[in-house]
Amino acid sequence: MSVSPNNTSQPEQPAPVVRLRSIHKSFGSNHVLKGVDLTVDQGQHIVIFGPSGSGKSTLLRTTNLLERPESGSVWFDGKEYGPGLDGQKLPRGKPRVLREQIGMVFQQFNLFPHITVLENVSLALRRVKGISHSEADYKAATQLKRVGLLDKIGAYPIQLSGGQQQRVAIARSLVMEPKVMLFDEPTSALDPELVGEVLAAMRALAESGMTMVVVTHEMGFAREAGDLNIFMDEGMIVEQGGHEIYQDAQEPRTRAFIEAIL
Amino acid sequence: MRSLLPVIAQAEFRWGFIWDNRQIFLDGLRLTILISIVSFTLSVALGLVVALLRMSKSKIIQPLIAAYVNVFRAIPLLVFILFVYYGLAIQFNLNMTAIQAGVLALTLQYSAWLGEIFRSGIQAVPYGQREAAHSVGMGRVQTFFRVVLPQAARIVIPPTGNMFIGMIKDSSLVYLIGVPELLRVSNRLANRTFRYFEVYLATVLIYLALTTLVYFGVKYLEKRFALVDLLTSSARNWSPFAIRRTARLRALQARVEADMQGEPVLEIPIEEEEDEKEEREEQVALEEETEVTGLER
Repeated sequence: MSVSPNNTSQPEQPAPVVRLRSIHKSFGSNHVLKGVDLTVDQGQHIVIFGPSGSGKSTLLRTTNLLERPESGSVWFDGKEYGPGLDGQKLPRGKPRVLREQIGMVFQQFNLFPHITVLENVSLALRRVKGISHSEADYKAATQLKRVGLLDKIGAYPIQLSGGQQQRVAIARSLVMEPKVMLFDEPTSALDPELVGEVLAAMRALAESGMTMVVVTHEMGFAREAGDLNIFMDEGMIVEQGGHEIYQDAQEPRTRAFIEAIL
Repeated sequence: MRSLLPVIAQAEFRWGFIWDNRQIFLDGLRLTILISIVSFTLSVALGLVVALLRMSKSKIIQPLIAAYVNVFRAIPLLVFILFVYYGLAIQFNLNMTAIQAGVLALTLQYSAWLGEIFRSGIQAVPYGQREAAHSVGMGRVQTFFRVVLPQAARIVIPPTGNMFIGMIKDSSLVYLIGVPELLRVSNRLANRTFRYFEVYLATVLIYLALTTLVYFGVKYLEKRFALVDLLTSSARNWSPFAIRRTARLRALQARVEADMQGEPVLEIPIEEEEDEKEEREEQVALEEETEVTGLER
């Protein structure tokens, strides 16, 4: 599903970074994604919202291949990672290569509890990119400074608040210099007073031009940062559009959901 | 023999007797420790392999390993030791000493138990940890050794310590195939001198000392690897290692701070939020008050 030009804020023709086409995914008899298309353009900020069980998280996880689709195409950087479309032959890529370049932030932070904040951020630099210990530490500390946590580099995750943990998780993904950042309900597990600091980090990231796909219920953030807002229900994209979707949605289901959560 | 027992029982108790024969006890103890440590080390290594294979998705390997675990857990250890030494070793003409047979029997049985402990420990690490590691591009092997195993190790320390204590005690069973470990030498000494009480009391105390030592060792490891302990342990914070580490982190912080001067700083809206919250709470309290008074009127 391509975006009509008047929906995007960028004037020039944007380049797609990731493209998902007719993705199908089931868990047992539960058909979670029913042929979803999603094109993520360079620098675009996509917000996905919808009721729980609508498949929005699964769609995000499919983008990162944490879930393997049963059918459909996951295209990234000239290579095919999904089962592929009929009659289409693209060079196949390794999931590891894709994941290295697509960052992901989880609802439950998923920091590694047995190592320090600095090691959490530098681990993949050393083990995946093969950067030397001291240089990895420097890069990690720099990234942690950007999310305002330079003073916590020696701490362990359990010593931090939820908001701080999530900011470390953001730094852990960003340090790999990903082309796209995925956020899976990044503020849903936080106490209300800690949501602000995570959203501030995400806003700063959006302003820096990072390509982002965000599954969230934070409508304030969605209105402010969402170039493309997608409403999903029952495994399908019901409606998508710019900021106006929050004021006058076309579909009654979208309107009902927006009214319910505002 | 039977008629002698009351006489023996009334014999004068002599601690000196044990001291005089200390070399015998020490030789036995040395062998008990050796058998326990060698068998346990092998069991841990084999147990890890068992745990990993048990979790394999292969339709052939998985049930095979399940059978391995269930068979070796089901046979009484003493029966198994006798079978390995007198049965297998002799039937198949294996050139095996009693010690080797004992170690083999203990290792096979304990690897089955430890395999189950390790499997539960590995499975207790939340799946999100694996996903997080994958999401930054780490492969399966890296994820296992860098993320899953260290966390599983912390979980399995207490039950694995129990198994080591069990191993020390169960190593006494190899005395039946003639290995001159602690129980065997005690038994021989007692039979030779009729000083059953002194000898077996000493044996009991030696086993107790050994297992108590292991108990405290496990306690230490538990503390050393506990996540919560990292907050409070002064030993860790004041060790030379910790001091060097702190200095290194300070230097790194200073370097980054200097290099990044002038870059925009992330503004964290904590105070605003709190002010807002207070205001909101005041508002709510006010509203409640008016409501209450309204009701009273």
